[in-house]
Amino acid sequence: MQRPLSFVIFRALAILLALAITLVPILWMVSMAFKPFSEWQATGANLTWFPKKPTLDNFRFLFGNSGSDLIVALDRTAAKPILSSLLSATIGTLIAMTCGTASAYGLSRFGSGKNLPLALIQLRLFPPMAVMIPVMMMWAFLNLMDTWWGLSLIYGIVTLPFAFWLMKTFFDEMPKEIEEAALVEGCSRWRVFTRVTLPMMAAPLAAASLFVFILNWSDYLIALLLTTRDWVTIPVYMASLSSSMTGQLYGTKAALGLIAAVPPVILGIVIQKHLVRGLTFGALKQ
Amino acid sequence: MTHPVNSQKDGAGLGFRLTLPAQILVLFIAVFPLLMQLYISLTDWSPLTGATWPQAWQFWNSFANYADLLTDDRLWAALGRTLFIMAVCVPVEFALGLALATLFVDDFPGKRIAYSILIMPMMVVPAVAGYMFFMLFQSGGPVNDILSWFTAEPVAIAWLSAPNLALVAVIAADIWQWTPLMFLILLAGLVGVPDDQLKAAALLGASPLQRFITIVLPRMKVIIIIALAIRSIEAFKIFDTLFIMTGGGPGVATETISIYIYKITTQDLIWGYVAAVALAILIVLSVAAIWAMKRMAR
Repeated sequence: MQRPLSFVIFRALAILLALAITLVPILWMVSMAFKPFSEWQATGANLTWFPKKPTLDNFRFLFGNSGSDLIVALDRTAAKPILSSLLSATIGTLIAMTCGTASAYGLSRFGSGKNLPLALIQLRLFPPMAVMIPVMMMWAFLNLMDTWWGLSLIYGIVTLPFAFWLMKTFFDEMPKEIEEAALVEGCSRWRVFTRVTLPMMAAPLAAASLFVFILNWSDYLIALLLTTRDWVTIPVYMASLSSSMTGQLYGTKAALGLIAAVPPVILGIVIQKHLVRGLTFGALKQ
Repeated sequence: MTHPVNSQKDGAGLGFRLTLPAQILVLFIAVFPLLMQLYISLTDWSPLTGATWPQAWQFWNSFANYADLLTDDRLWAALGRTLFIMAVCVPVEFALGLALATLFVDDFPGKRIAYSILIMPMMVVPAVAGYMFFMLFQSGGPVNDILSWFTAEPVAIAWLSAPNLALVAVIAADIWQWTPLMFLILLAGLVGVPDDQLKAAALLGASPLQRFITIVLPRMKVIIIIALAIRSIEAFKIFDTLFIMTGGGPGVATETISIYIYKITTQDLIWGYVAAVALAILIVLSVAAIWAMKRMAR
């Protein structure tokens, strides 16, 4: 539709303003991450918008190199928390995607597990905080506290609703003719599922997996309650990077925040066209 | 070789086996925790008593915890604050998201890049977003700096240590992070509105507002309900950003339901009572959800 010039100008200004508001918090963190100690140590005063002498000191410091002008040294580096986040988010994604894909196919093709759609939505409805006490008790009882497998298991469960609903909508949309042809050829149902259906669904499976990975990677609350020291994840570790002795390690935390923020932002852009479907439990397709 | 006759039966068996792992996980996370929660919510048990949780019956207090929560002012204040944050954030995010989405219906140069940038905030790890806003709202931070451009003198507001301002900061962070979600969902809906209907209405002399109300809104009803429902549910759970920014403080100024439960779980360690509070919230939410779904079905 043809628009008047005034609208075009208004639109450009409005979008530029929205972009500025979107970017300022992100750019501020990037700027803090590259400032040397001397530029952020002051109690929040005299901060500049851009680093005067950009440096990688904050990143080096995170990985145990205290050669910077910081007096303190970290009692543990960021390497283990990064490993913990990666490992638990990946295994959690595998658990959610395996169980979610299998059950979504079971429901979509054979009508099994009709209780699952609602049960899984309900699982998502409740604040995790409201079931954490019994979960903490169970995890302690099963010796899963502060382990990567315990964290992976809970991640697999809390993101199962997304994996299930996403894959269910993908299976529902898939034409059934090819599967039927394979059945007529004499393939068993299981063979059809593993050799015909799954390979055809490679792209949706990848998109759903990345989506679930982002969710797992973004967790803070669960790791805060179920890990204590050995397997704390990046956000929990980040929050612990301030003490009465060191004060707020602004630049260090900004550098770690940047490390945590980059993977989901990139993955999110990769699966952009599936985001609406994922976030609305498959209710909306783009 | 499977007989064609058997394939339907074969399918039912396979369907059961395929759904089994998910069913086990749901049982594992729904049934056991709820039963445990119910059990200890009827006791004064806590990890400090030295007894293990199966022995919690020794501290049986029947329904005292449930009676207590009715008169727990801090709980009700936290609930009120949570609902207040929801009542501000969700409509503002909806309005901003819808406004932005209407600007993105037509094509314009740079649209794809602008779109990719605008949806970035919701991909940022919430805890990290909380830390971003923690830095922004420091007294020497950029928010005060930008304000000082307008006042022409240095501004040094201590946002996060003043009760009301801390609440403003927390709400700002939520709006920053979740307006993109509204934008994304509503844009998907707007794009689906057929162009020819709009053109026809325009030819008949309908103003843009009239076209929006009579053609666009009815077609987007379901999408709008879904967007509002998803955001309301998530806003009720708000924890990560808020906890990193203020820890619920100063005092209890930004203490929401999730933060309240976290604090009494980890600091006061009155687990019997926490279980009662958590179970009460679950019951209220379930009733609300069933009521909402029945209304949706009608």
